[in-house]
Amino acid sequence: MRWGMAIELKRCIGCYECVLACKAEHFLPPDIFWNRVLIGESGKYPTVTKLIYNVRCNQCADPACVKVCPTGATQQREDGIVWVDEDKCVGCRYCMIACPYQMRSMYEDGNSQYFPGQELTEHEKVGKELYPHQPGVVQKCVFCKERIDSGIAAGLTPGVDREATPACVISCPTKAIHFGDLDDPNSEINRVIKEKHGHPFHPEFGTDPSIYYID
Amino acid sequence: MIQIKPYDFMVKYQQQKDWIGGRGNFIAFAFFLGGISGGLYMAAAYFDSLLGMFVAWLLSLLMGVSYMAHLSHPFRSWRMFMKPGTSWIARGFIFIMLFIGLTTIQLILSQWVPEATAAITTLKVLAGIFAFAQSIYTGFAVSYVSAIKVWNSAIVPILFVTCGLSGGLAILLAITMGGDHAQLVALENVIRVVLIAFAIIIGVYLWNTTYSSTAAKEAVKRLVGGSLAPLFWIGVFLFGIAIPIVMSVTTYFVGVGSSGLLITAVVSEIIGGLALRFAILKAGMYTPLLPVD
Repeated sequence: MRWGMAIELKRCIGCYECVLACKAEHFLPPDIFWNRVLIGESGKYPTVTKLIYNVRCNQCADPACVKVCPTGATQQREDGIVWVDEDKCVGCRYCMIACPYQMRSMYEDGNSQYFPGQELTEHEKVGKELYPHQPGVVQKCVFCKERIDSGIAAGLTPGVDREATPACVISCPTKAIHFGDLDDPNSEINRVIKEKHGHPFHPEFGTDPSIYYID
Repeated sequence: MIQIKPYDFMVKYQQQKDWIGGRGNFIAFAFFLGGISGGLYMAAAYFDSLLGMFVAWLLSLLMGVSYMAHLSHPFRSWRMFMKPGTSWIARGFIFIMLFIGLTTIQLILSQWVPEATAAITTLKVLAGIFAFAQSIYTGFAVSYVSAIKVWNSAIVPILFVTCGLSGGLAILLAITMGGDHAQLVALENVIRVVLIAFAIIIGVYLWNTTYSSTAAKEAVKRLVGGSLAPLFWIGVFLFGIAIPIVMSVTTYFVGVGSSGLLITAVVSEIIGGLALRFAILKAGMYTPLLPVD
């Protein structure tokens, strides 16, 4: 089993809903993003193309971050999800340096808040209880592994059932993001990648990403 | 800390910011201290300078302190022994510990049990190996990062070792100043060769890197003609190469130079070594994820 995503670029409208859904799901502090929307342009007038890429940790099959981590804090599960054990991270930042996609963040200030000088919002208060983030350690997208694990335990199928699927996928208003098992030849994600010629983002980095993009 | 505007994230060439600026500066200091400590120990062991080996040991301890200052959770640093199979930082941590441990025993024996020559020689050889490892691993830790093309060069470890050796020899020169004249002349001869090698390696590295990728070319441009040019030309070239070479050539013709001249050369080389680590780390840039026109 290897969880993966396929993102249809023509469907993405750059609304940032996936970014907000991720922030809300994981109670991410200010300035920490587990996924982002990159917006650029290519070509010259009058043939200019606007590029909108929703990016996050590619959960690479051959991840540079896992190799360089000196403590074993960055680990890869059997289902391919790369995650950070916050209790083992020393904060050396070698993984952040090594990631060619720059999809890792260091949570430095444990007291940061969205409205400095004011009281914490209710969301922030709940977040500190439900999803406490340890300061001084590296964070990244984990494909909402908590949702996947609890969903599977409840007999649900990630990518099919909302409760077992990553927040960014189910929040996308245009259904641009597909999620599923890349090792299952009959999964919907494999069908989409095959039929629409999905390709990984910058395969030349040589890390074998689990996220595919469809032009 | 270098701030990145959210809309610029990875759509332009992006300077690495994790190993420079703020707490990241300590890693540059650690790499520098590891280099000169290793270089100094190898030189001091060869020229049999006990004081030199002691200073190398002190510098290695300082490297460890600098490393700890770089970490967000230094009390977990014992975990850094865990992954020597794939991580250069873990390997380096082991090299530093072994070097410090072996040198401690060797220094104690050399000072208080000098008749144990066999044990001292064995320890010197072993510590020398780990001094070299401590010096070269900093280069491997950097060159292993394939995401940063200007670092991802086989020349970087050689460059760091040569720079460390040059700084180490300079410190040894300062330590042995006023001592045995023949040793001083021998030391100056070695320094001359190392300095010339250092200059050639820097030139080859920059030339070679220019051809490796567009991101690497951009980084070299920043180093030699962009925002990092003052650091490179004044710090690395002037202090690290030009001044020491001029002094070295002067002493070649006039014999062993005055202590003022030698001190200037030594300080200059140390500044140059530090500037090199900062320049290389600051030059690290990521390839944009979206096409750049």
